[in-house]
Amino acid sequence: MDTVTGASSLVRALEDAGCEVIFGIPGGAILPAYDPLLDSMKIRHVLVRHEQGAGHAASGYAQATGRVGVCVATSGPGATNLVTPLADAYMDSVPIVAITGQVSRSVIGTDAFQEADIRSISLPITKHAFQVTDPADIPAVIAEAFALAAGGRPGPVLVDIPKDVLAATTTYTPAPPVRNPRVTPAANEIRRAANLIASSRRPVFYIGGGVVRAGAAAELRTLAERTGIPVVTTLMARGAFPDSHRQHLGMPGMHGTVPAVAALQQADLLIALGTRFDDRVTGVLELFAPNAAVIHADIDPAEISKNRKADVPIVGDCKDVLVSLNAAVRRAPVLTSWWAYLDGLRDRFPLGYDWPADGKLAPQYVIERIGTLVGPEAIYTAGVGQHQMWAAQYVGYERPGSFINSGGLGTMGFAVPAAMGAQCGVPDRAVWAIDGDGCFQMTNQELVTCALENIPIKVAIINNGNLGMVRQWQNLFYRGRYSNTGLSTHQRVPDFVALAEALGCVGLRCAEKSEVDDVIMRAMEVRDRPVVVDFVVGEDAQVWPMVAAGTGNDEIMTVRGIKPLFDEDL
Amino acid sequence: MTRHALSMVLSNVPGALARVVVLFSTRGVDVESLSLDPTERGDVSRMDVVVGLPAGRSPDQLVKQLSRLVDVKSVVAVADPARDQIGA
Repeated sequence: MDTVTGASSLVRALEDAGCEVIFGIPGGAILPAYDPLLDSMKIRHVLVRHEQGAGHAASGYAQATGRVGVCVATSGPGATNLVTPLADAYMDSVPIVAITGQVSRSVIGTDAFQEADIRSISLPITKHAFQVTDPADIPAVIAEAFALAAGGRPGPVLVDIPKDVLAATTTYTPAPPVRNPRVTPAANEIRRAANLIASSRRPVFYIGGGVVRAGAAAELRTLAERTGIPVVTTLMARGAFPDSHRQHLGMPGMHGTVPAVAALQQADLLIALGTRFDDRVTGVLELFAPNAAVIHADIDPAEISKNRKADVPIVGDCKDVLVSLNAAVRRAPVLTSWWAYLDGLRDRFPLGYDWPADGKLAPQYVIERIGTLVGPEAIYTAGVGQHQMWAAQYVGYERPGSFINSGGLGTMGFAVPAAMGAQCGVPDRAVWAIDGDGCFQMTNQELVTCALENIPIKVAIINNGNLGMVRQWQNLFYRGRYSNTGLSTHQRVPDFVALAEALGCVGLRCAEKSEVDDVIMRAMEVRDRPVVVDFVVGEDAQVWPMVAAGTGNDEIMTVRGIKPLFDEDL
Repeated sequence: MTRHALSMVLSNVPGALARVVVLFSTRGVDVESLSLDPTERGDVSRMDVVVGLPAGRSPDQLVKQLSRLVDVKSVVAVADPARDQIGA
């Protein structure tokens, strides 16, 4: 038991929790914590340029490493700038701990300078929020915050610490390790699931991000190969099952492949693992997989039967569930005619795109070439919109955690700070942010951080001059009236190459098909600075296939107006 | 709208009630009545609440969502809210 300040206690508690990097910005209320941080030999502090960047970086770090990501902000506006990353991490079940300074205990509730009630503000978007009122509690609160963030269904936890608590003299007592109880999957439900699998004729593994969080990709592959059952991976699960695997049908949902969507719709059994039947996957819920029995395994009991009633509910970590299922499934189902149907769809409706009529670069081609040349050992992040869907469709993912994006909240601007965080966690891997010109303008200030902190990420701006996904919807559903979606980035306002150079990065531009490979290779050769490539692409490219909002998955369109599952008798 | 009575035990700490009430608001739950009292133990409080749920929503889902909260020590849906009124 040593006599220390609250601030020193905080830094030691973070070190003891295994924290190796913090993304943050100092300010008045958190200032005491930054003094002992300067002396820490274990924790690297990355000075970001906006607190939102700190939060998304913590999320990128967590998703790339599987460890808890940490961000720090001061009180008031510093704390409120963390709201979006907290909500983002809550929706995508990412374990992060956010530490915020707060005004001193004596003035809480008096509208003091830079006071914001962040604990209340964050109520619906955190697993839990602590406000430390006794400096002696700091070690235990930090230990509990880390355990809560990582345990069960992971998520964000906030720790709000008043300035005078940080400044106070206290004692440091190392917190005893916090154990997270682990639920064992119920044996009778596992047995029922195994029986349903053995007797099914048209089963599908519907795989969600929970399989990635649980580190259960190997167990999934074993069970899939033993049973021969087809696999679809949602946006949050891309990489949980290798894209190159014969049994993989691709991503389901609004912009899923025809075989993946059809497999869910025609299935007699969904084996849903670590997934939450999100509306982007199900389309109109009443029309989703109408003839399927549902096995639904999730670590969060509140997700089971939330949107679709489960016939076999299994509460448990996906890894434990898959280990149990591997032991219980003795007999593989007969799937000859099922595979004949699905392979037929695969042959007839592969993912594909047309080149723009105006001779401009096809955005899908750019992303496909990045995936091919950079390869599956890299980590890819994305913002939100058309480029995100193309990144999900046209990069081949072979490893869990190799695609990091904002799935649930759909946060534009996620890609650059998430890539920064991922690169800090895995410095030996290449990290590519596939971004849009709209998203990039929301958070590109973190490239300064990357340039100064030796975080050599690559950013591929898929620059179509527009808020592309919104424009696509305006084209399809608002009679082509393009209200406020033009961004003028094709008129070089801003000039992304000049902007990149101003931010301390290498800036490159490419507008010709013949130059795409060359510019990607040049970007890969730069190791001492971040690189931004402005890929100037056609503005009319659209994301296909598409299930329009408010329709059932059977109405999936391969291109505008063509609905193969709906129009034809397959 | 269907009525359901919930009986809960909360940690007696600042913010516990707020978290429960915000969950009701987030999930579109109507609160008809609510009472909170410390128990003899002192470290926990007992909360009785009657809520209205949109038709088709089961109280099971709400019970599971409440169970996720760190400060909720236990929560059960009481069978018949008409008989088991608050303060009765």
